[in-house]
Amino acid sequence: MRQNKHLLLWTSLVLLGTLIWAAVDENFLRDWRRAQREARGKLAASERADLPSQVRQIVLAETGAVERCVSCHVGMALDGKEVPGDKVFGRHPNVIHDPARFGCTVCHGGQGTATLLEEAHGTAPHCPEALLPKRYAYASCGSCHAYQDVPARAGLETARAVFERSDCLACHRMDGRGGTMRPGGAGGLEGPALSRVGMLGYAPDWYAGHQRKKAAASSGPWRSSMPELTDEERRSLSAYLRTAVGAPGLVLAKSLFLSRGCLGCHKVGGAGGDDGPDLTAVGRKDPVLTPYARVRGPRSLENWFKDHFRSPGRVVQGSKMPLLSLDEREADELTFFLFSLRRADLPMSLWPKDRLCVERLGGREFASDGETLFGAFCSGCHGSAGQGRSYPGLETFPAVANPSFLKLASDRFLADTIRRGRPGRRMPSWGAALSDADIAELVKTLRRFGDSPFAGDSRPARWARGDARRGASVFQADCAGCHGPHGAGGTAPALDNQVFLEGATDSYLFRTVKNGRQGTVMKGFGAGSPGRRTLSDAEIEDIISHLRSWRKGK
Amino acid sequence: MDNLVRTPMTFWSSLNRSGMPVSDRGRSGFIFSNVFLHLHPARVHRWSLRWPTTWGLGIAALSAFLLTLITGVLLMFYYKPHPAAAYLSIKDIHFVVPTGRFIRNIHRWAANIMVVGVLLHMARVFFTASYRRPREFNWLVGMALLVVTLALSFTGYLLPWDQLAFWAVTIGANIAQSLRELTDAVGMTAFFDPGGLQKLLLLGSDQVGAEALIRFYLMHVMVLPLALAALLAVHFWRIRKDGGLARPADVGSRLPPPEGRVYPVFTEAPQKTYSLAAIVRGKTPAVGNGPENTVPAMPHLMLAEAAVFMLTFAACLALSLFLDAPLKEMANPAVPENPAKAPWYFLGLQELVSHSAFMGGIGIPTVCLVGLALIPFLDREEEGTGLWFGGPGGWRLALASFMFGSAAVLAVETVAINFGWIREWFPGTPQIVITFVNPGTLLTAAYALYSVWTVRRYDSTRAGAIGLFSCFIAGFLILTVIGVHFRGPNWGFFWSPSMWGGH
Amino acid sequence: MEGGMMDADALDREEDSRLAPEPMDRRDFLGLSACAAAASALGFGSLGILRLPKPGVLSSPSKKFRVTLPESLLPGQAFVPQGRPVAVYRDDGGVFAISLVCTHLGCVVKPTAEGFECPCHGSRFGPGGLVKRGPAPKALPWLSVKPVAGRSVIVDEGTAVPNGTKAAA
Repeated sequence: MRQNKHLLLWTSLVLLGTLIWAAVDENFLRDWRRAQREARGKLAASERADLPSQVRQIVLAETGAVERCVSCHVGMALDGKEVPGDKVFGRHPNVIHDPARFGCTVCHGGQGTATLLEEAHGTAPHCPEALLPKRYAYASCGSCHAYQDVPARAGLETARAVFERSDCLACHRMDGRGGTMRPGGAGGLEGPALSRVGMLGYAPDWYAGHQRKKAAASSGPWRSSMPELTDEERRSLSAYLRTAVGAPGLVLAKSLFLSRGCLGCHKVGGAGGDDGPDLTAVGRKDPVLTPYARVRGPRSLENWFKDHFRSPGRVVQGSKMPLLSLDEREADELTFFLFSLRRADLPMSLWPKDRLCVERLGGREFASDGETLFGAFCSGCHGSAGQGRSYPGLETFPAVANPSFLKLASDRFLADTIRRGRPGRRMPSWGAALSDADIAELVKTLRRFGDSPFAGDSRPARWARGDARRGASVFQADCAGCHGPHGAGGTAPALDNQVFLEGATDSYLFRTVKNGRQGTVMKGFGAGSPGRRTLSDAEIEDIISHLRSWRKGK
Repeated sequence: MDNLVRTPMTFWSSLNRSGMPVSDRGRSGFIFSNVFLHLHPARVHRWSLRWPTTWGLGIAALSAFLLTLITGVLLMFYYKPHPAAAYLSIKDIHFVVPTGRFIRNIHRWAANIMVVGVLLHMARVFFTASYRRPREFNWLVGMALLVVTLALSFTGYLLPWDQLAFWAVTIGANIAQSLRELTDAVGMTAFFDPGGLQKLLLLGSDQVGAEALIRFYLMHVMVLPLALAALLAVHFWRIRKDGGLARPADVGSRLPPPEGRVYPVFTEAPQKTYSLAAIVRGKTPAVGNGPENTVPAMPHLMLAEAAVFMLTFAACLALSLFLDAPLKEMANPAVPENPAKAPWYFLGLQELVSHSAFMGGIGIPTVCLVGLALIPFLDREEEGTGLWFGGPGGWRLALASFMFGSAAVLAVETVAINFGWIREWFPGTPQIVITFVNPGTLLTAAYALYSVWTVRRYDSTRAGAIGLFSCFIAGFLILTVIGVHFRGPNWGFFWSPSMWGGH
Repeated sequence: MEGGMMDADALDREEDSRLAPEPMDRRDFLGLSACAAAASALGFGSLGILRLPKPGVLSSPSKKFRVTLPESLLPGQAFVPQGRPVAVYRDDGGVFAISLVCTHLGCVVKPTAEGFECPCHGSRFGPGGLVKRGPAPKALPWLSVKPVAGRSVIVDEGTAVPNGTKAAA
């Protein structure tokens, strides 16, 4: 009885204490309450009443989602109260997309419903997404936008150089640069801002107008800064201005991505190869499914991307991704672009025009010229100019721009190879992803890289009449060392590939064996070389017949 | 006018008809004129009030249930049972509902404590042999309560609609379907598919979705709590009708002399039977008994109960203050949680399920439940009722059996973890063989054989029951620990969760 | 058994009965404080529970919103932003907004050429929101309007201003 009374007394007191602590926690210690207390402390005494302690949120009219970031960032809500000049509690800088309508997370990431600091910024466990690092903030444009027809990097670099050289920034402002007053009354700020000119458009006859004004002016920037431009330079300028979409650096970063051949193995929005993971939403990579075990440095998606670029095989075990040997600046830029691959799951009625074009109307995110296509789809394996690549631990990728190869290969053979790929090898078939026109562009680009047209072939596709059995023994003796005993490839390309055997003509095979391939270890067998014996034409024909015997189901 | 003035007084006396409980009679009246207290006896045996008799486990489970009831109703103010909204509404409860996070934590911790309380209560009843005649039926009611409690917790598990919920319930639903292992083997699934039907009834669809959520919600907030309340009423009522808590026959000599004064109800054994309006047959429980060793329930029993209530409340709330109820990522039907773990009290089963879905999820649990249900009907002995480890063998037997049970489960699991099972040794073994020969079934068989051996050795069913029950406790505990701590991604064996690494 | 019997005998001799009031400690401090602690803990908990049903934040959109008036808006012509029960006007005096929530029982009134009509119980309001007939107890409130950059204004549904207050556009 007495024991029970004691027990009742003490447990009741513990309970009471717990409840009181819970009440204190609820009413004073919540993260958002602390933040608002701090904000009130920074306000003038007369204004403190304008900021009562309460949860604030933005209700997005279109999606019905709620975002409570403004519970702490009180200055950024219409119904809050800003602390002027404060980083956390101040007003949001003026941006195209009004936060009151678009909310915060579509640009900044993080967990909008949360009112606890760690949960909101996405550093707590099980958060859907972490806050986007501030310097990659413009990557979030990719949540909704899909910039179309982005060309390869090299052209854009030239274009940017033209823009800088032409002193456009004397009068125009772009991405926070330029347009400043210059000493000595040299002017400034006369021209309209160009940051979003790629989306808004500009007068096609601007150059004539500029020149008229230059002619009319007697001094000042019109005379000192406005240069005369060639047609070529004006084309470059217009290419550069198309990248001015209000997201500084994003289109340039995308062009880098398109120049590194990433699409050869990875898909983005349905275009690309199947060898690597689909990257369409990699910017929102699920933190749970992301292996951080072997990543050096802090546990963040940014660091994962960068470390992965440094050494793909270390971060993801068994990765077949080649080492890209990027410098840190390029790795940073690619990381920036990967963060922009974060399509938000929005109803189609909210999509901007460019995304509609890309996802519904057949628009493409990459330009359709041969250089861009080669850069985007081929350069990862075949090298930036088709010179071939070999990566440690991976098979050798052939030099497709080799002149002695291009001389023997007809356009049809090249196009067919691109269209059908090499089944069973890493070369995928591009017939579904690329149109015939694209493939024709690629073939033209290859010819340009190798600077060699097709030498022509007057003989029929199949003319060799050799003896396959004799050929087999010659093959074992002279070819198997590099091409493998059954032609499955080794240090040299595979020869047993069905599509290859179907497409390659006898002339192609014959001349390749006889004359060899310049610049590779494949020396011509027609004229002897040190350590190799000379093969007679008949022997080469025998080999061809032997190769043909691998063709299945004729 | 006078009446109006006197209204507070009259209202009070209409409310509290028996007056202040100062006398014994007043106290008895206080109890049986109060609808909430009248399930209590007016007087309670001093044996029942000893702490070691029950350790207050039943009341602890009850108070945890009350807590879940109160907090559950509160959570229903904000919870929205639809896949598109459920997860976000839990987030809202966590982030912006005043006291919401605390209330949800209490709900979860109280649910856990309720399960623990029910299991320990059952162990207490078993080891004090309190299930014996005339309490066999109440033992069955208690088992029904255990099943309903587990069902409540399983249905509640889905409601947050996070990864854990989605995949645990997906697994649970497929366990319900695992009867197909048998019907497939016989080749009659196409005509008669009770497994598929069970899953369909459970989910209302072929996979976990909106239909399943609303079903689970209905079960969780309506059907199961009502069933639990009804069963609880029967359970309590039977305690009284079965003559209170079980106590040894020589209880008088086992109790110390009472402190203060104890007022016997009957000074000599009454001979009258009661035949209320000729409806009730038989004798009152007191007929033929000597003077009772009882004290008034008010305040003695009330105080003890209040203390246990308060202890449970304080424990739940203190836990809730410091440990948040988990909420993982929103359910993603495309990417399974890895490892997808059920609540801890199902992890023993999940370990068995990892060997055979049907045997682990349906077969063995059914055998266990049937075995437990049969205990009071097989054990008709009288020795040791109401005493801890009463009966032949006593605590030595219980301990030895516990050791045997642990050794057996460790041996079987070690073999399975280190060397794999039949399929690794003889690829192509038909499923039906694995269904019947797997670590779970072997373990069950070992326990059964051990129990039979104990029955022979002590020539006592009770001894066999103690052996079996202790073995099962060992098995349950060790399998649960393995499931909770030593199983990681892909249900692989890991010495510690810190070794899971990136997967 | 024996102990019990002996006690019973002893009690019997004292001729006590369970019908008589049992002596109880008059000042059972421990018991009373235990009961008081329990009651206050439960009471405090119940108070806490009462906090929960009152939502901490409303799920409706913010009462303040930005409106961009069309160039072609004529004086006296109502502009009703989508999804908001507010009519915004612009005339020579400036921009002003009138709430469209009937002051009677909260139906949304319809702006007409003569003022506003309520479809629910037939209240009629004049052009400035003054009650003309029907059960509405008071005029439609004018709402706070703050001009911001461009042609936009910020209307605050939650703040009423005296009738006739206009903001310079």
